[in-house]
Amino acid sequence: MLLRGLTWLVFFQLLGTVLNVLLLPMLPGPIIGLVLLLVFLKLRGEVGEPLQQAASSLLRYLPLLLVPPAVGVMAYAKDIAADFWAVMGSLILSLLLAVAFIGWLMQKLIDRQARHRSEP
Amino acid sequence: MSLDWAGAWQALIHHPLFGIGITLAAYQLSLAAYERTRWVFLQPVLVSMLLVILVLLACNIDFPEYRASVQTLTVLLGPTTVALAVPLFLNLRRIRQLFWPILVTLLVGGVAATGLGVLLAWLFGGEHLMLMSLLPKSVTSPIAMLVADQIGGIAALAAVFVMITGVLGAICGPAVLRLCGVRHPAAQGMALGITAHAVGTSRALQEGEECGAFAALGMSLMGVASAVLLPLLMALIV
Repeated sequence: MLLRGLTWLVFFQLLGTVLNVLLLPMLPGPIIGLVLLLVFLKLRGEVGEPLQQAASSLLRYLPLLLVPPAVGVMAYAKDIAADFWAVMGSLILSLLLAVAFIGWLMQKLIDRQARHRSEP
Repeated sequence: MSLDWAGAWQALIHHPLFGIGITLAAYQLSLAAYERTRWVFLQPVLVSMLLVILVLLACNIDFPEYRASVQTLTVLLGPTTVALAVPLFLNLRRIRQLFWPILVTLLVGGVAATGLGVLLAWLFGGEHLMLMSLLPKSVTSPIAMLVADQIGGIAALAAVFVMITGVLGAICGPAVLRLCGVRHPAAQGMALGITAHAVGTSRALQEGEECGAFAALGMSLMGVASAVLLPLLMALIV
């Protein structure tokens, strides 16, 4: 069951990679695969048991899979140290402001839409 | 009888499984620490990263060797990204109800998240190369590396900024959102996904399935939009 779902996921990722080389060089294969799988699920109308199982098992370990790319920080320690405060300052400040702003904006828009729906 | 301790040590740390071993061990340790304390600064990705770097430095292993040995793990990132389609699909109805809020938030918020970082770095006196590598900081790393490369930054440096942003977002994001009174799971998810990509999404999945689905949505929309628009914009400006 798990293997069958995993095969589907790998299949869509590979399909994405092929399309990436052929048609869409600016989009990475996995993102194209994500969109394709979404379209496929939409056409089929439901998520099969094997796919559901494989997807939730993989997603549970998403943080683990992100550790190796994060370790890449060590390779660029010198470049970052040279511009340390400019980089860290702007990363931290822009992140805090952006999270607050986006969350606030979305909440406001949702509230507004809810009001519009209740008083047509 | 004398045992070849030095030889055994070299064989151990240069074994192809050593990288995977320390990554798995570090991850489980930090996960256990996080679950026991629930302390926000103990984000599993951050703590595992620090533990792994410490071990690598202590054993004198450089990053390329480590990267080669954990290839079996990183190759799974692709199918895992594809797997995000499943929570997205399961929440499609709720997403369709919120179509306009999502579109407006993506455009305005995406520009704000991207523009603010570069503007601040420019004000703080960052170099051109740094600025170009900072531009795609809120985008998931494969896209960010591609985009940085196309607009004249360093791909690997971009990946580092992406990771720092993601880890920061996972640490501070939920607290900032609570402080600002953002209660709707969709709004929390979008904010985490747009600003902190995959790391933010994995944090959002901890908050709940709806929150995670919107984070995955925010991440993929932000990724697609940046991949297409940033190189176009830079070509127009420069």
